[in-house]
Amino acid sequence: MKNLILLGLLVSSTVIYAEHHEQHGMDTMHSHEGHIHNEMVNGKTLEVDAQRFDQFMIGIDNNVVAVVSVQGMVCDFCARGIEKTFGKDKRISKIDVDLASGKVLLAFPVADDIDNADITKKILNNGLNTTDIQVVGN
Amino acid sequence: MANSGSLADTIYWHYTPNINYSVGLDYQRDKVSNEYFPSARFTYLINRKNTAQSQRNLYLKAGVGLNDSANHFYALAGDWETRRLFSSFSAKKSSGIGYDMFEQSVKVGIAPYLGDYGDLHTWLMVETKKNDLDNERITYPVLRLFKGGALIEMSYHKKTKWDIHLMYRF
Repeated sequence: MKNLILLGLLVSSTVIYAEHHEQHGMDTMHSHEGHIHNEMVNGKTLEVDAQRFDQFMIGIDNNVVAVVSVQGMVCDFCARGIEKTFGKDKRISKIDVDLASGKVLLAFPVADDIDNADITKKILNNGLNTTDIQVVGN
Repeated sequence: MANSGSLADTIYWHYTPNINYSVGLDYQRDKVSNEYFPSARFTYLINRKNTAQSQRNLYLKAGVGLNDSANHFYALAGDWETRRLFSSFSAKKSSGIGYDMFEQSVKVGIAPYLGDYGDLHTWLMVETKKNDLDNERITYPVLRLFKGGALIEMSYHKKTKWDIHLMYRF
């Protein structure tokens, strides 16, 4: 009986939190402008959440952004290493990890500093796989 | 990492030089024998499969006592998870800690909401476990919460009482 009460408390508390969270998500969708679908020079389509990308670009208008598509990035706790690894790179001015789309945004003040092989290696060192890197800006 | 359960309290520090393995030190107070067992631990990633929506892992784990090599364990563990679903298993053979034990466990879980990076993440889980000491299967609810580099996992069963697992990633 105690177990049932305990389980009930756990479930109800998390459901309340989940409902609050989902509601918050619905509220923010009012200002959602959709996704950026830009045709890249190489013919690929870049798909980035527009609102998230705009938020990311605040304060770094002149930066170039590497949009890294990552496989296996399903857990916040496991993705911590990505922020830590790229945070040590002095060439990178801002980092964003988007679990929902499986993308990591890396802002570089200088486009020449973007080294795809280095990015791929660092993602791999965190146990994840890079499937694509696209550069936006300049 | 710290764990307090019905059979033992442990504190475990581990370092992961690369994705293939980690090494660590474990300090365990066994509640059955009431003795302390410091040990060195090794975890090897046998296989990992990443997809856009999931990750699957298979690990080999082993540990040996620093005071007495008769105190040792080895285990095979695996997990598969998406942002919404989680499952894992473990088969562990322990020896020399006052008794020998083979324990198997399976855990499944669901995330009631999908949090963004940096949010509080919640998992509702059920774990079932059986060892050959008492040869009885126990099944109990598990609540896992994590935010940033901190994780707490709590479970309760009337027989084994509370099991609390704390982890911090530096």
